[in-house]
Parts: sequence; C-alpha cells; structure tokens
Amino acid sequence: MAMSKVSILGLYEDPEDGARAMDGLHRAGMDPNDFDVLTGTPYPEGAFGEHVPQHRLFRFPLFGAMIGFTLAILFTAGTQLAWPIVTGGKPILAIPAMLIITYEMTMLFAVIMTVVGILLESRLPNFSTSAYDTRITEGLIGVVVAVEAGREEEIEGILRGAGAMEIIRA
Amino acid sequence: MASRAVPTHDDRPTFQEAATDLVSRPAAATGNTLARISLVLGALLILGIVGFVLKIMDVGLNDRSAWGYYVAMVSFMLTTAGGAPMISIAPVLAKANWVRPVMRISQMFSVVGILTAIMSIPLIFILPPLVEDGVWRRSIWFGSPPYTPHLWNTVAIFGLIFIGLALLWASSIPDLAAMRENETGWRQRWARRLAPNFIGTNSQWKSIRMRMGVLSAFYFLFLIFTHILFASDYIHAMVAGYKDAIFPMYHALTSLQAGVASVILASWAIRRWGHLERYIGLEQIWSLAKLELALSLFWFYFFFSAFIIFWYSRTPQTEKIIELFDQGPYLWAFLGTLVFIFILPMWTLMWNFIRVTINGPALIAVFILFGTLLDRIRLSVGAWSTEGINDTFLQVVPNTVWPDLWDIFMFLGMFSGAALLFIGITRFLPVLSIWEIQQSRLISKPGKFMRGNVLIVGKPD
Amino acid sequence: MQQRRQLNEIAVNRELLNGALDTPAWWKWAVIGLASVVIMGLVVFGFQTNRGLGVTGLSRPVFWGAYITTFVFWVGISHAGIMISAILRLTQAEWRRPVTRAAELLTVFSLLTALSFPLIHAGRPWRIIYWILPYDYARGIWPNIRSPLIWDPVAIGTYLTGSTLFLYVALLPDLAVLRDRTVGWRHAFYTMLALGWRGNPRQWKLQTVSGILLSALMLPIFVSVHSIVSWDFAVTPGVEGWNSTIFAPYFVIGAIHSGVSAVVTMMALMRWLWKWDNFIRPEHFDALARLLIVVGTAWFGFTLVEILFSLYTLEGSELAFRDVQAFQWPWSFFFVSFMMLAFFIPVPMWLFKSVRNSIPLMFWTSIMVNIGMWLERFLIIVPALSRKTPFVYTYGEYSPSMVEFAMMAWSLAFVGMNMLLFARFFPLVPLFESKESQIFTMDMKIGRATIPAVLREQE
Repeated sequence: MAMSKVSILGLYEDPEDGARAMDGLHRAGMDPNDFDVLTGTPYPEGAFGEHVPQHRLFRFPLFGAMIGFTLAILFTAGTQLAWPIVTGGKPILAIPAMLIITYEMTMLFAVIMTVVGILLESRLPNFSTSAYDTRITEGLIGVVVAVEAGREEEIEGILRGAGAMEIIRA
Repeated sequence: MASRAVPTHDDRPTFQEAATDLVSRPAAATGNTLARISLVLGALLILGIVGFVLKIMDVGLNDRSAWGYYVAMVSFMLTTAGGAPMISIAPVLAKANWVRPVMRISQMFSVVGILTAIMSIPLIFILPPLVEDGVWRRSIWFGSPPYTPHLWNTVAIFGLIFIGLALLWASSIPDLAAMRENETGWRQRWARRLAPNFIGTNSQWKSIRMRMGVLSAFYFLFLIFTHILFASDYIHAMVAGYKDAIFPMYHALTSLQAGVASVILASWAIRRWGHLERYIGLEQIWSLAKLELALSLFWFYFFFSAFIIFWYSRTPQTEKIIELFDQGPYLWAFLGTLVFIFILPMWTLMWNFIRVTINGPALIAVFILFGTLLDRIRLSVGAWSTEGINDTFLQVVPNTVWPDLWDIFMFLGMFSGAALLFIGITRFLPVLSIWEIQQSRLISKPGKFMRGNVLIVGKPD
Repeated sequence: MQQRRQLNEIAVNRELLNGALDTPAWWKWAVIGLASVVIMGLVVFGFQTNRGLGVTGLSRPVFWGAYITTFVFWVGISHAGIMISAILRLTQAEWRRPVTRAAELLTVFSLLTALSFPLIHAGRPWRIIYWILPYDYARGIWPNIRSPLIWDPVAIGTYLTGSTLFLYVALLPDLAVLRDRTVGWRHAFYTMLALGWRGNPRQWKLQTVSGILLSALMLPIFVSVHSIVSWDFAVTPGVEGWNSTIFAPYFVIGAIHSGVSAVVTMMALMRWLWKWDNFIRPEHFDALARLLIVVGTAWFGFTLVEILFSLYTLEGSELAFRDVQAFQWPWSFFFVSFMMLAFFIPVPMWLFKSVRNSIPLMFWTSIMVNIGMWLERFLIIVPALSRKTPFVYTYGEYSPSMVEFAMMAWSLAFVGMNMLLFARFFPLVPLFESKESQIFTMDMKIGRATIPAVLREQE
C-alpha cells in the first residue's frame, strides 16, 4: 500500500453486511487490490465476492526438492569417495544406501521450501500498520480499504451504508 | 452461527434421464460395430484355446519351465480383474461420493474373473505336489497332505469370484428392478428372474445395504487371502531358498494398483464410446488418478523393502534371488516394470495438468497394466524356470525363457476373452448404477454460500 | 449422530483458550510432579554417563535392550500425528478437526524423546557426532552412509523438522487469536510468532492449500521413518527374527496402531482435564475406534504373515528362536500378554458401539494397546539377541536395571510435561478448525430425514 493512502476498516456483525460492503466497493470502481475482507474463520472461497487469490505455492516444493537432491548426492557421493573404505562388501558408491539418504534430504528440503512458500505467498511476515481490530478474531467481519487522500468520506459512506457497526481509521 | 449455504439449480442428470440413458437407449442402439468387434474377439479367444491345447500336446504338463507364461497369465488376471472390485469397496469406507458412478464398472470385473477361475483349473495339474520321491518341499503348508495347495488355491480363486459375482448381483438388484419395469423381451425376462420382487421398500433397501456391506468385507479379506496363497504357492515356493515375507503382500498391493488402472481404463472407454460424459466426469477419473499415484509410490516402497534386505545381506541366497528376478535373465522385464508401474506414473500423475484430465490417467492406466504384465512375467516365468526346488538355495540362475507361439496365442486369447466377458456383461446390466447416481444426486447438491459457489455434501452415518 | 453444538466464535475462543489464558488449578501441580520425574531422569542419566553402561542390564550378547525398545516405541507413537492429520486431511474427514493439533504435537514431542534414546544408549553421547556429521576434517573420517545407523538420524531429523514446521504453519491463525486476547510480554510474544496474520482470503486460502500440500509431502516421510527404523534390525542377516523383508511395512502399521491409540489416550485426557466436552465428543472416539479396528486387524495380519514366513524355511536356528520367543519362560508370558493386550482384548471390544462411545473404556483399551506394542518391540529385540548363536561365547539373561526403568519413566514424564507446557501457551484444539467446522457443516434435508452435511468448495 502506498504511503499516501489511508487505511480504513469497517466492522460488521453480519457476514452478509460485509459482503454488501465489498459489493459497494466493487461498484465504486475501487481497485480490487486496495480492499480486502478480514475474518476470524475461513469462509468458502468467493463468499464475500472477493477476487480469488492466485498463488504459486506448488513451485516451492519442487525447487526445494531439487536443492535437497543435489545436496544429498554431493553429501553421499562425496563422503564415500573421500573415505573410500569398503564395508560389508558393498561398493564404494552404494546406490541403494545413497537412495535412502537422498530421498530423505529431498523431502526435507521440499518441506522446508514449502513452508517458506506458504509464508511468502501469504505475504507474511507483515507488520504493516493498516487498520485492524482485535474483535475480528472474535467473529466480526472486517472490510479494510486503502483509500487515496480525498476519497475517505465517500468510502466511509459506502462502508457505513452496508451496515458497519464501527469505522476505524489507521 | 448457522451455515448460510442454500441449494441452487442442479443440472446433473435426473433419475428419469439416467434411466433413459442407461436402460432404454443401449438396448435400442445395439451397434453393428460392437457386434463386429465381439466377433473378432471371439475368434481370438478360440485361437487362445487352440494355443492351450496345442501347448499341452507339444510339451505336456510336466515340464515346469514351459508353463511359466501360463502362470504369469493367471497371475495377471487375478491381479487385474480380482483387484478392480476393490474400487467399489475401499473408497466407500471413507464415505467418498465420487466413486458412485464407477462402482458398477468396478464390480463388473468380477464377471471377467470367471475367466481367471477357468484358467486357474489347469494350474492344478501343473503345480507339483508337496512331496515328490518322498521328499517334502518347502511351502506355507508345512506337513499337510501333498495336494493341499492345489485344493486351497482353487477354493480361494473360485470363492473370490463367487463373492465378487454375489456383490455385483446384490448391488444391481434395484437397477434390475428398473429393467424389469422398463424393458421388453429377453432383457426383461432376465431382470425379472434376478430381481423378482424388489419394489424399493425400506426394508429391501436396508437388506441390500447390509448384503453389500458383508459381501464387500468378505471380498476384501478373500482377495488378500487369495493373493497370499497364490503368491506363496505358485511363485514363492518354486524358488529354492527364497524367503520373502513381504512377497504375498506385494502381490496383493499390485492387485490394487492394477485394479485401479483397469477401472480407469474401463470408465474412460465407457464414457467415450457409451457417450456417458454427463455421468463419468473429471471428478471420477481424477480421484482414481490420485489413488493410482499413491499406489504407484507404494509399489516402490514394497519393492524396495524387500530389495534393500536382499541387497544388504549379500548371502548366496539373496544374491541369486536378486539376479534371478531383477538383474539377470529378466532385467528387461524388471526395468519395464520399474518404468511403467513406478517411474512413468509417478512423474506424470504428480502434475496437475496431467492428473486433472480425463485422457492423461487413462493413458497412464495402459502403462500400468503393461508394467503389471511385465512384473508377472519376470516373477512367474523366472520362478518356474528354476531347477532344484528342494535345494537350500538357488544354485544356478536359469537363462531367460521366451514365450513360444502357443504362449502368444494364449495371451491373445486371454485379453480377448476378458474383453468379451466385459462387453458381454454390459449388455445385461446398466453400466452405471442408476440408483447410486440417483443417491449421489440426492446427497450432494450444488449451492451458494453468500457470493461463492459450493457443493453441499451429505454424510450419512 | 448429532452431537454438534452451535457455538459462536467468542464461545469457541473462551472454551478452547481456557488452558492458555486462564491456567487451571491442577496444572501447576501436574507440571511440578512431571518435572521432578524429568529431573530425576536427568540425574540418573548423569550417573550413567559417569559410571558407564555397566549400570544398565546390557551385557554380552544382549547389547540392545530396553533403551532401544523404548526408542522404537516412541518413534512408533510419533506416527500418530501425521497419520491422523495428513490422511484425514486428504480424505477430508470432518471428524479430524479437533484431533489434528494434539496428534501433531504428540509427533513432535515423542520424536524428541525417541531421538534422545540412542544418545542415552550410546553411553558416551558426544561421540555420536562422529558418526552423523561430516565433521572430522583433520583425519578425513566421514560418516558411513551405508550404515542404517546413519539412515536413522537422517530420517528422524527430516520427520522432526517437517512435523515441527507443519505444526507451526497450522498454528498461525490461532496465534493471531492469542495475540488479540493478550497484553504485555505475552502480546509481544504472540505478535512475533503470528507474523502479522490478518485473516484475509489469501492467507486462509494458503492455509487450506498448505494443509493438503504438506500432508502429501509428510506422508511419504512418515512411511519412510519407521521403515528405516525397522531396517536397523532387518538388514542384519545374522540375527534370527530380524532379517525379514516384511519388517518395513510391518513396523509402520504397528506404529500406526500404537500411535492412533496414543491419540485416543490423549484425547480422553484432554476432555477430562480441560473439559472440552463441546469439541472432543464420543463421535470422535467412535471414529478413531473404527479406524483402529482396521489398523489393528491389518497389523495382526502382517504379524501372522511375518511368523508364517519365518517358519517357512524350517531352518533349525529360526525355529529355535521362535520357540524361545513364544514358548519359553519368561518370554512366553510376555508373548501372551503382548498378543492379548495389543489385539485380542481391545479389537473385539471396539466392535461394540457402546465401547467405542465410552470414553473411559476407550482410554483403558488404548493404554492396553500401547503396553502390548512396547512388549512387541521388546520381544523382537531382546530374545533374538539373547540366544547362543555361532561366535557368541558368553551369553546370559537380560533384564533391565533400575537405571533403565528410571529412563523409561523419564521419557513418559518428559512427553507429558512438554504437552502441559505447550498447553499453557497454545491451544491444544485448533480454534480455527473448530470455527471452520461451524461454518462448513450444516443439516441437509432429504425427504423427511435430516442428515449432517459438509460444504466443499467448487473446483
């Protein structure tokens, strides 16, 4: 959100009112990136008429798996070649044994990168100071809007018109 | 905070549409193409029978290594047609609705099982008795009478097919009743005979549910039991010094995998040529593809669990076993198995753009069936070609045994016979269960939750 | 079955945060009690490190005893978390919701405990660093990756890291609730952990997708971990009863049996201690018991196949070992107890609906299973080693010493204490799952009948 914008939050008791506020903002021609609905519970996708978020989470585990695989091959092959002692009559590059470690490390890095991906794609960590209210995690629906200076009154009107019990400006 | 979902318009087929599409129309449209295909299949089946007779005349029943391919065929049939009905059993336990449209297809494979049962009869004469020249061979039967495995394997295979057919019948009764009401001629007479007095009272439905539950449980237990016996007696016990406790479970697992592949392929074909796109959709194929992906991973897991032990042990026993099945004469079959039932399915079904389609999983299903065939060849032909069944361990790894002309005839006959039986049963029963489709329509409804679209799914206990 | 009650979000917050926001009176005493056992365990461990492994019952030829048994036992328990939360997430089972967090937590703490047992067992734990890490550059010594003793820490490390991250990701929305309900240093603590979670559609969507994706990634890890633990034994050709190809899936299914039972034990305790009757309901025990019937029976089937094929070759040494394991005192007593406790008593009991819906009975049968499963591991490890085999010249009886019993008590107390400490700061039942369930479940009318229904998002 750009610096020149003001963050306004409308709080609703009834989710239907929240959805109407979202409708109103759409009608007022606001950029969909400038307003969002905050809930304490996941709602079915599109319940508030919000645009469905796109994500690229599925690329992360793949990337992680490639890192893990490469590291594991380097680790297993490298340590065996660096200390080439035959144990149990196994070949120096013992593929079944390498496979086990490679598998585990591939999965490990896939999981780590997935978690990194979840945070990045959720836009977390995010310590911005946009308007927020702690009652959202108690069941209130919040509609938060980033408003350019000058349009505050109009947007507040829309939020209030949909039945906001309270308007908060950050 | 009550849920706000409300049902909306439902454009899925209604009961009347389903009854028209599935009961009346196929009867009216008995295509010439199908008749011609059946004729060709019938000719190939006869060729297979001829091949079998000529093989007996050619080599007799005593040369074990000559019958390896025949054992592979029975094993393959048991694996595919035996495993397919599980698709109508396992997902139901997890209360999955998606499986309903393909339940009938999966159960129809029990009819194909009749061929498995018939083909298993000659095995009784090929399998050596437990005791020869006063020497007992190793088996899971220890000191039982010499023909115990012959008896129990036959009982198991016939029992499995019988339970499968009973399950198919039990779950078809409501549809047969619909045929009894809406059909004419021989189809009506047949339906009247099989569902004489079903009118859909509450207690009749209840008894159908109960019968299906009991038969499903029995089918599952019998399937595992049959695979344990078949894998132990017809493959494992043929190789001296082979001790592999996971092997029967491996055999059973591949049966689930090949069963899913068979159902995917049959559903795809019925959807395509039966013009049932409204009934069998992406949801069914996709869900089956997810199962298939999981089972392919499991295949590698079961294989590797045994392999790592043998590889690590490095005793004469285990080295010979690895050479026989994986590295030596059947390396080609092993690599084929690995590629077609693990590497290819995993690397393709992993991706949404292949898994979430209708044609992708169908193609992979063909690969998996081919891979399963190679797997059965490497195991059965490999095991039956060894010598010295009573030795402590395998002394000599035999050379590759290639199929002869009669084997190829029999392969053709087996595939044709299986296809013929499947096509045949579709003439007698609706290929999709009308009542299951009707129930799934009742139990899941498209709906709206505020501004978003949802599906409301009932979960009865 | 309709046991669900409609609760608004305030009520859900109040009830489920009763452990984190206002501490129950018994909590302090329970933690003090468990902490004293933990400290006692640490003192005993110090004593053992000082005196050497001679203070245990381990001696030729039995060098793997109660420590390794307990290690396998806790790895087994750890299989509950991913089993419950991943499989049930993927199959979209609605009843998983209150169970997932506690199960994942059990995974993390039991893995930590399991991981300490090889260290305790090593006698000189600092030396373990030489086997595992590519560390000693000066002498050019590297870990021997052909050894299952290397595979083990790699697998368990992966599983521990993965489950901890999984737990954290699913904790994010609840951390935001705690952030909004607290002041002072706790507020700062939760603010930091919640990473600025707001609850917008993007974050919720990622939360849902991540649950499924991480489950799909964790499942193959979960299967591999206990398999690799089983290979610690199974790749040894010289020990009868160990060298079996079925060990990997057999151990995994046994781990699920004991892990899911441990979840039942824990859920009963949670319901009793924190009075979460609205969230942990008899229907959940019913569903878990049904799952346990299937798992228990499958495990029993694997047990039978394992025994069948060990007898198959009719080798003298194998037969002799099985005879010791099942028919000779005192193993015969343990063998019968193990069979009764792990299968023949609990599984038939669960067939009855009245048992499945009775929380005390479920609690006791689940404990029974875990005693049985500990004995199973003990029976696999110890009798096999205590037989006289070629190249074993001294052999004798093994029985765990007081030091080993103390360390086993330590492990139980350590897991329990960690659970209670966690419950003091975080909710054991996921708040957002319970709230989501309120929105995503409804009643559906079919004719005159009303059945429970759930919402699915359209693809």
